Parts: sequence; C-alpha cells; structure tokens
Amino acid sequence: MAASELAQYVVTGLLVGGVYALMSIGLALIFGIMRVVNFAQGDFMMLGMYLTFYYAVALGIDPLLGALLSIPPFFVLGLLVHRAFLARVTGGGDPNREMDAQLILTLGLSLVITNATTMILSPMPRSINAPYASKAFAVGPLLLNQARTYSFATALLLAAAVYAFLTRTDLGKALRAAADDPEAAGYQGINVRTMHGVAFGIGIALVAAAGGLLASYHPIEPNVAVNFIVLMFVAVVLGGLGSIPGAFVGGIVIGLVQSLTLLLLPLQLQNVGVFVAFLIVLYVRPQGLFGRRARTV
Amino acid sequence: MSRLTRFLALTLALVLLAPMVAVPVAVAAEDVKIALVAPLSGRWARQGQLKKMGAEMAIEEINSQGGIKALGGAKIVLREADAGDSVEKAVSAAQRVLTREKISAGIGSWLSSFTLGVTEVAERLQVPWLTLSYADNITERGFKYTFQTSPVSSLQAEQALDLVVEIGKKNNRPLKKAALVGDNTAATVFFFKPLREKLLAAKGIELVADEVWTPPLADATSIVQKLRATQPDIVFYGATNFPDSVQMLQKLKEFNVKTIIQGVGAWLVTPEYVKAIGKENLDGIQTVVAAHPLKGQEALVKKFVERTGEPFMTQDPLCTYAHVWLIKEAAEQAKSADPKAIREALAKIDLTAGPAATTLYPGRIRFDERGRRVGAIPIIVQWQNGEPYTVVPTAVSTRPLASVK
Amino acid sequence: MTRDRGWLGIAGVVAIGLVLSLALTERYHHRILTLVFLWATMGLAWNIISGYAGQISFGHQAFFGIGAYVTVLLAAKLHLTPWLGMLGGAGVAVLAALLIGTPTFRLAGIYFGLATLAYPLIFRILMDFLGYQEVAIPMVRDHPVLFMQFEEPRTFDLLALALLAATLVLSRLIETSRLGYSLRAIKENEQAAEAMGVDAFRCKMAAYVLSAAPAALAGAIYAHAILFVVTPDGVFGVIAIVQTLTVCLVGGVGTLWGPVIGAAIMIPISEILDATAGDRFPGIQGVVYGATLMAIMMWAPEGLFWRLRRRPASVARATPVVPTAATAEAPAAAPGPVQLEVRGISKAFIGLQALADVSFEVREGEILGIIGPNGAGKTTLFNVLNGFLLPDRGEVRWLGQPITALRPHLVCRRGIGRTFQVVRFFPHLTVLENVMVGAFAHGDAPGAARERARDALGRVSLAGQADTLPAGLTTLELRLMELARCLATSPRLVLLDEPLAGLSSDGVEMMAVMIRRTRAAGVTVVIIEHTIQALVKLADRLVVLDHGRRLAEGAPGDVTRNPAVIEAYLGKRWLARHGPDHAATLRP
Repeated sequence: MAASELAQYVVTGLLVGGVYALMSIGLALIFGIMRVVNFAQGDFMMLGMYLTFYYAVALGIDPLLGALLSIPPFFVLGLLVHRAFLARVTGGGDPNREMDAQLILTLGLSLVITNATTMILSPMPRSINAPYASKAFAVGPLLLNQARTYSFATALLLAAAVYAFLTRTDLGKALRAAADDPEAAGYQGINVRTMHGVAFGIGIALVAAAGGLLASYHPIEPNVAVNFIVLMFVAVVLGGLGSIPGAFVGGIVIGLVQSLTLLLLPLQLQNVGVFVAFLIVLYVRPQGLFGRRARTV
Repeated sequence: MSRLTRFLALTLALVLLAPMVAVPVAVAAEDVKIALVAPLSGRWARQGQLKKMGAEMAIEEINSQGGIKALGGAKIVLREADAGDSVEKAVSAAQRVLTREKISAGIGSWLSSFTLGVTEVAERLQVPWLTLSYADNITERGFKYTFQTSPVSSLQAEQALDLVVEIGKKNNRPLKKAALVGDNTAATVFFFKPLREKLLAAKGIELVADEVWTPPLADATSIVQKLRATQPDIVFYGATNFPDSVQMLQKLKEFNVKTIIQGVGAWLVTPEYVKAIGKENLDGIQTVVAAHPLKGQEALVKKFVERTGEPFMTQDPLCTYAHVWLIKEAAEQAKSADPKAIREALAKIDLTAGPAATTLYPGRIRFDERGRRVGAIPIIVQWQNGEPYTVVPTAVSTRPLASVK
Repeated sequence: MTRDRGWLGIAGVVAIGLVLSLALTERYHHRILTLVFLWATMGLAWNIISGYAGQISFGHQAFFGIGAYVTVLLAAKLHLTPWLGMLGGAGVAVLAALLIGTPTFRLAGIYFGLATLAYPLIFRILMDFLGYQEVAIPMVRDHPVLFMQFEEPRTFDLLALALLAATLVLSRLIETSRLGYSLRAIKENEQAAEAMGVDAFRCKMAAYVLSAAPAALAGAIYAHAILFVVTPDGVFGVIAIVQTLTVCLVGGVGTLWGPVIGAAIMIPISEILDATAGDRFPGIQGVVYGATLMAIMMWAPEGLFWRLRRRPASVARATPVVPTAATAEAPAAAPGPVQLEVRGISKAFIGLQALADVSFEVREGEILGIIGPNGAGKTTLFNVLNGFLLPDRGEVRWLGQPITALRPHLVCRRGIGRTFQVVRFFPHLTVLENVMVGAFAHGDAPGAARERARDALGRVSLAGQADTLPAGLTTLELRLMELARCLATSPRLVLLDEPLAGLSSDGVEMMAVMIRRTRAAGVTVVIIEHTIQALVKLADRLVVLDHGRRLAEGAPGDVTRNPAVIEAYLGKRWLARHGPDHAATLRP
C-alpha cells in the first residue's frame, strides 16, 4: 500500500477520534470526580446538538461557535440536574454501593430525556449541513474533511482548557481534592457536594459542546446518542478511569483503531477491531493507558 | 420522603390511573377495526409516523364516502400500537392490539425483523396482515395470513438491474463496472446477494467494489476512496441508516466522485435529505421503491401535503394508504368484518380498479399462495430539484429521467 | 434470613406464580407473566456473579444471546429440538464464561464490568456479519411441542416459572454454601477474603460459570416465547442488560428476592404504560417509566428489598462485653520451637525501599510485637508474610517449609491467620455469618462451619451478638469480631495489624485479655502497633523496625531503653534532652 494511502487512513482516524475524545472527556471528568457512571451522557450530547441547531437556524450562528455557546447553559443545567437528582444518591459514603443507584438513576434520566425530546421536538431528523461539511482541505495527497478538522481543533482546545483548569486553578485543584479524598477535602473546607455539582456541570457542558461540533455534519435526532455512547465508555475505560488526558487519548485511539482495522478486517467488522483492541489493552494493562494502579491492602 | 420524591410519586400515580378514568373514544359496535403496528417512538419513530399519516388519510376518505357499503356503511377505525425500537416491543404491541378487541386486519411494521415477529403473532391469531416490507423471507414461511404487496428484494434486484441497463443503453452510456455500497440490514442483504452472485455477471458487468458495513458507519472515507480508485459506472446503494447515508453522500461530494447512484429502498427519498445534503447534490440520485406517486395521482398527493404539512408523499404513507383501501375492498367482497373471511377474500382478490390498485403498480392486485403480490413491479424514483419523482416505468412517470452529468 | 424462611419464601414465590399463571386468561397477560419470570431469572443469574461476588458485569447478555442463537440455529439448520438445543446453548455459554472469565477476572471493579461489555458487542457484530441478522424461528405445524411452540400461551409461563424456580433454588444453595460466603467476602474485600483462605479466582470463576447457564436457558426460552425472530440487537444488545440491571438494582442487589421484586414491579409497569398511554401518546411511556426509575432510586438507592428491610438504627444493646470465665490468666509458658523464620526480606517500591534485609524468628506460643514509627514498613512486612507481596530478596519459612511465593489463601490454609488495620465486615450478614466466612477455610459443610464460628465467637466473648448485624457493634466489638473471624480459620499463628487502634483504654485492656487468651489456647501471636506503650505489657518480645530496617529486638524493657529506638520515635533532640530512662516511663 502506498504511504499516502496509509497516511490517509491515519489522518481519517485522528479526525474521527477527535470528536470521540471530546465526548469522552466529560464522561471521564464525571466519573473521575464523582464516581458516577452517567448513562445519560449521550443524551445531553443530543440536547447540545439541538441547541446548536437552534443557534444555527434561528440566529444564524455557525455551529462551531454554537458549540462553544452551548457550554454556559449546559453547565447550569448540569448543576441543576446534579442538585435535584444525583446529589440525593451520591457523595455520601461508600462509592461501591452508590454506583448501583446512580446507574439506574441516570438510566431513568436518559429515558426521560430521549422520550420527552421525541414527543416535544418530533423524531424527524434535522440537519445544519454546514458548507464545510462536504469540503476538504487538500494537504499534499491527503484530504482532510473540513468540518471534522475544525471539530478536532476545537476539541483539542477545549480539552487543553479543561486540563489547565484542573491543574492550575484553585477550583480545579479543589475538584481533584474532592475526588481523591472526600473526607480530607471536607476538613480543608471544600464543600464536596458543590464540587460534585461543578464536576457534573462541566462534564455535561463538554459533551454538549462535542454535540455541537458533531452537529456541523451529523443529522440531529432524539436517539442519536445510541451510536456513540458505547464508544464513549470504551474511550474512558481505555484511557484509564478518572484520567482526563487518558480519555482524550482513548478517544483518539478508538478513531485510529476504527480506521486502521480496515487494513486487516472487512468493513463490517470495523468495530470488532475496536473492541478487541480495547480488550487487549485492558488485559495487558488492567488500569487502562493512564490509570493509576490500585494499591494493595 | 422528600418533597420532590412525593411529587414524583404522585405524578406517577396520576399518570398510571388517568387512562383508566379517561373517557374512551366512542366506538360504535359495528365499526371495522384495523391495527397498525409500527414504530411510533424510539429510533424509527419517523417512519412509523409516516405510515400512520397514510393510514389516517385513507380511513378519512373511506368513512366520508360512506364507509363499507356491504356492512351497512360501517366505519373503519384505526388501532395503532407502538412497536417501539425492539422486536420484543413490536411483538408485544401486536399481541396487545390483536387480543384487546376484534381486529379485522392489520398493517405493519416497517423494519423487516419487526414484520417477521408481528406476522407470526397474526398467523397464530388468524388475523390477515399486510406489509410493505421487501425481504424475501417474509413470505417464505408457509404462512396463510401474511400478504406482501411489495415486490421482493431479489426480484427488485433483477428488475432494477434490467431497467438501469436499459437506460444505460438508451443514453449511450453502457454499464461496465458496478459497485455495491450499503449496510448489512436484511433488505439490503437480500437485494445485494443475487446481484453479487449472478445477476451482474450475467449482464457482463464487473463488480469493482463491494463495501458493506454494520451500522453505524464511523467514517465514509475508505469507501469513497475505493470508489474513486475503481470508478464504477453505477453504485447500488443501500445505506438505510440516515446518518450513514448523509455521511456517504457528503463524502462523495467532498471527494468529487461522480457516478450513478442507484438506491435500494424508500429510505433514500425522505424530505430530510434536502436539508441534510442540499438539493443540488441530490439531483440525479435515484432509488428503487415499491411505490411512489404515479402519473394521475396528483390530487392524492396534494391532499396529503395539505393534511400533513409534509413536502411530498413517499412509499410509506402511500403503501399504508393502499393497504387500508385494500382491506376495505376485501371487506366489501367478503361482506364481513371477520378476519378469517377477510383473509379468504384477500387470497382470492383480483382488483384492477380503485385507489389500492392505482397505487400499487402495475395496477392489478392478486396474491399467490405464498401471499406475494403477483406481477409486482418496482418503481424507480429520481431526485430532481429537491423532490423525488417517478421516472420509470415511463408509462406512469411524473417526470422524465434526467441524465446524470 | 434464617434457613427455613429462605426455602419457604421460594416455595411461596413459585406458588404465587402458579396461581397467576392458572388464573390469568388473556394472552397478553400471559406474555407479561412470562416476561416477569424470564427477567427475574436473568436478574438472579446476574446476581450470582455481580450481586454475591460483587463483580459487576455489563456483559451478561453475552450468555443470554448465546442461549438464544445456539438454540434457534440448531433448530433452523439441523432441525434439532430446542429442548436439547437449549442444553447445547447452556453448554456453549458455560464454555464462553470460562474463556471470558479467565483473562477478565484480573481486572478490578468497573474495568471488569466494561471489559465484559465488549463481548456481547463483538458477538452482535459477528452475527450481522455471518448473515444472522434475522433468524425467524420456523413455525412447525406438526409436533409443535417438540419445537417449543405452544398453542396455549400458559405453557410458556409455566416453562419460564420452572426455570425461575430452578434458578431460585440454585441461588439459595449458593447463598448457604461455602461458595456463597466466600463470594460475599470477596465482594467486601478480596484481599481480606484471601487472607481467610478463600481462593478468589476459583470462586469467581465458579460463580461466573453458574451464572452463565441460567442466562443462556432464559435466552432460549425468550427467543421462543417472546421474540419469534432472533436479531443480534434483540439478544446481544443493550436492551437485555438494561432490563437485567433494572430489575436487580431496583429490587436490591445481593439477595435472591431483589430480582424477583424488581421484575414483579417494573415489568408490569412498563407494559401497562405501553398499553395505556404509549399507544395513544407515543413516547410518554418512556418518560413515565424513566421518571419512575429515578423516583425509586432516590427513595431506595440500595434497592427496594433492602430499603423495606431497613430496621431502625438502634439495636438492643447487650451489656458491654466482659470476659467470661476466669480472668486469671495462665502464666506465659516458655516459648516453643521456632515456627516462623523471616530471613533477609527486602522489598522496594518505586522510589522507596520499604523493607531492607529484615530478619527475625517467631517461636511457638509467644506474643511478638512489631513496632516502629509510621512508615517503618510494618504493614508491608505483614503483606509479605501473608503472601500479598513478593519480596525482592529473602525468604519466609513456616514450620520449616518455604512459603515466600505462596498465595494468601494458601498461606491461610497452612495455618497463618491475619487481621487488618481497618475492619472490613459484611454489612448484610450477621456477626455469626461474618465469622463463618473464615470458618470455611478448613471445610465445606455449612453446619460444621457454623459450629466453628460459634466457638470462635465464644472465645472472644461475643457469643451474645451472634445474630445482630455488624452495624450495631462498637469499635471494640468489631475488632473482636474480626479476631473471631481470624480464629475461625483455626490458625496456629495470627498476624494482628494494629488491633488496638481506635480503642479506649478499657477497650485496649479488653483486647489485651483476648490476645492473651488466644495465646493461652495455643496460637502464636504477632502484633503490629506503632505505640510502644500498648505492647510493653502485652508482648513477650519486641522487634523494632525503622525505615524498613530491623532496628532492635529484645524484651520490651530493653527495647524501650534502646537509644536508637528512642531516637527513631522521638528524635535526636528529645533523646539528648531527656535521656533513655525517661522514655520508658512516658505515658502518651
């Protein structure tokens, strides 16, 4: 195979992976800080897509900008959802016990969101069809789809911003403290429940932004999450639970594996490649690529 | 219990109790009930709702024209049941609706796996069932109560191929190379199989690309690269999942790949494509379907558009419309609303006039012993200026076939 | 839950099921009943590996789907009756469980769960790829019963009920057996369980295999009774696992009533919603069902069964624990032969030398104290002795045999018991049942284990609390319970890790009495503490560790005057200011 052909596979994989990566960071943040497995993550992404669609159609705002403008309202939504529902079953004691309850809680939330959207907004697919969705940058022999490239760049920027926030700001450090040792953080005067709310808010805002980016080339309808939710979880676990850079890398890896699998397997088995790679990584490195090894006794 | 929980519990109780105290819609005892089992919520809700629109229009027409004369003007009533997004829910819906009241006949259920399950229930409960599903296996089970009005996939493959080869010859652009691009859902599989195995070779056409994926498609780049490299004259196209199809068509434009796109099914002519792809990019794309508005049906289409607000009418509402009328005719001939009697009538029916026959080309409705419509011929529809038109067979076309540049 | 109540309860559930099956007339109602039984079965199967063993699996639908597909394909292609076919399905599922479990049990917590998810996702794609997108069960008109096709819908309920009954019985048998206790111990703290003689890998695998078979059978019946058409999404897809998780988590995890309650409530709600509101206002059923799930989880996060069973926090307080029998303690006998030899143990972690060339001996019948300031490496030493850690250098010999590389549960079976710094108890088991987990180390029979457990509780004067839940115990009582659990493994030597931490001075006294009593019964005791004060009166000898090295060894009086030891604890300056003799008289 020609080098340029291989390069095209790699580039395609990277660009596809970029959006997976952004979707996954939100999930990783929520899990890392709160130990919550948010079944409804994909549905918040769907809502983000609808908001970006509204911005585009009613206000003429380009979806890339619309995605960024989705962040504040969804942050607030995340805080409210956490306060109203999640805070009642998490943040109290044993994370193992709690995981059970919030699995079903977020599952219920997912059903409510999807079905309510179907009833209110109708199941007809909507599209933004940005002009750059079917154009490509020609870089030598390679073609880089413009919409996906812009999305990748935006995703990278947002991920970097989140990482900087977590490592350099006081609030970010407080968040991480609340995650590492809730009891000790409490003694330091950090309100763990508020931190959880903030983490959830950011996590939802990020996935909504990812949805907005996706909306520049992907049709929008109430059940769109079903195509992505599994890959999101795989990316987060692959990268190592609780690791933000891990989830980002996990998303990119999935995109790459999806693309490169085509060199080995028939097109129909494309995702089999992803799941097999996922298993291989976990078996070789049980804590994921960037995860921390659990301490013994 | 916290206030919020109490509120939720109260709401739940109200919602569960409400239907029981809600005033039931007045139904006269002699009304003829037709069941519609289709996805009304979940992933395929859009398709189910389109079917429902067609059924409702037919029912309104029939009832306003005096109902079923042989039964003293009995009105038709629709009993819809939501098939949801799983076979379990679809079969539950069928069982529910067919045992709650006496149903004379039923229609549905869009997804061929749903149809397979639902027709099995209908067979056991001995209620005749009409479906527009294409898959061959629907009428290969020795059932007596299943009636398939669409031409089956394998037949469609043969006839569609003949048609496009004809067109190619006429336009002096003979087809030498073909590609198969689609997902592995049942209808597409049944269509591609005979093409791949014998039909293309028989016409001397080389199969240069065979790209089948499991939905959802992650990225169309590798497929389109292959097409660009092999340059087929025609692409048989079966991307039934809307986002997959949008991706493919966008990518074809992005890579500037020009070819004839011959779709396989009515999913390619839904109105949402216009916004998703843009009408200039849709021009020339054609697809083979079981039914589409034919020459002479303009009034019907106008009525549908006015009623529903949809920009145009396509196979799903059209076939369901025809099915309701067909059931009406069967009831007239059977002079009974009894499902067994209607089944007998359908098995013997030979209809050449009326809305049902006019809709289902070539205009004669007869079923063989398997339940397949005899002589069913598919329609080729082509996008022109943001709307799909019947182009082949030319006898019933609403616009001439436009050649693809 | 007493033994009889359990079996009675199962009989009750089956009886109710029978009555409903015979009483209901409408076909659709029978379908709902069949669904309740099938999902309850699936939930019970899941509960075996995820509820009892705590290994949350998101991939159980792999077995469900295998059962469905194998049975239906055998019938469609080979015309094999599904009555035999489903046994084949169960067989393939068991094989799959072995193959999937072997590499995957190495993963912990949610990593395990999501790794298991990968398998049904792969199978789903494979089935599409192989052309099995829709396998319709061929309708058989002559001899339909042979092909599991019944005219009478009631027969399906009865079939599903039979499977449910069998799975209930299986669950109950597991619950009351050694495997059940071991699984619950593993769920609580796998390492503590290993220290009590539980072979975690074998137990988890046994649970996984036992959970795969009923899931596969449920899948086979589901295909014939409910679906009629097998699609990859319908049996390998998210629907199956969501339904399983819902009935279990709503009903309550870790008990066989949970899935039954969950299924009995949620499935009829779902169907009623579909039947009433759903057909007229499509989508509303999803909203209400989702809201119901949320409401239930907020009110009963631990599941309905546990929530309803929640007793008020106060448990009748028995009189404080007082040592029974003569308080006069037998004088310490002269220490016997060397039992445990620790030779040159070194262990390094990244950037830290935790242990450096530590050597000492433990003689039979003595009480040896291991002390040292925080971070000296004491717990690491225990972890090496116990089998949790492999030392970089050195060896450990027990009764003359090397045990350095032996896995923890085998070390326990050889006669070395262990307690931990933080007491890990099983909150849903009584005190007696907690101790029974250890009692199983030397035998399978629940009856004999129960006796050993009672005996151990008696030895620590906790017999009166045998049937209370651990949540009602004080710190002292918890530590005594942990000691009892360790003693129930019939050890010849026990490693006690900070048994006195968190106790009042009365509690320390009590613990000391128990420890001496333990030694008097012929068990050698090695204790870690980091305050010298506590061990001075209790221990025969002390070994002092500091920064991973053995700093000193000898009689308590000598060790406490050793300047190096004082310096290690209190620093050079203190030593210089106060001198060695002062330290021995210090009270913290």
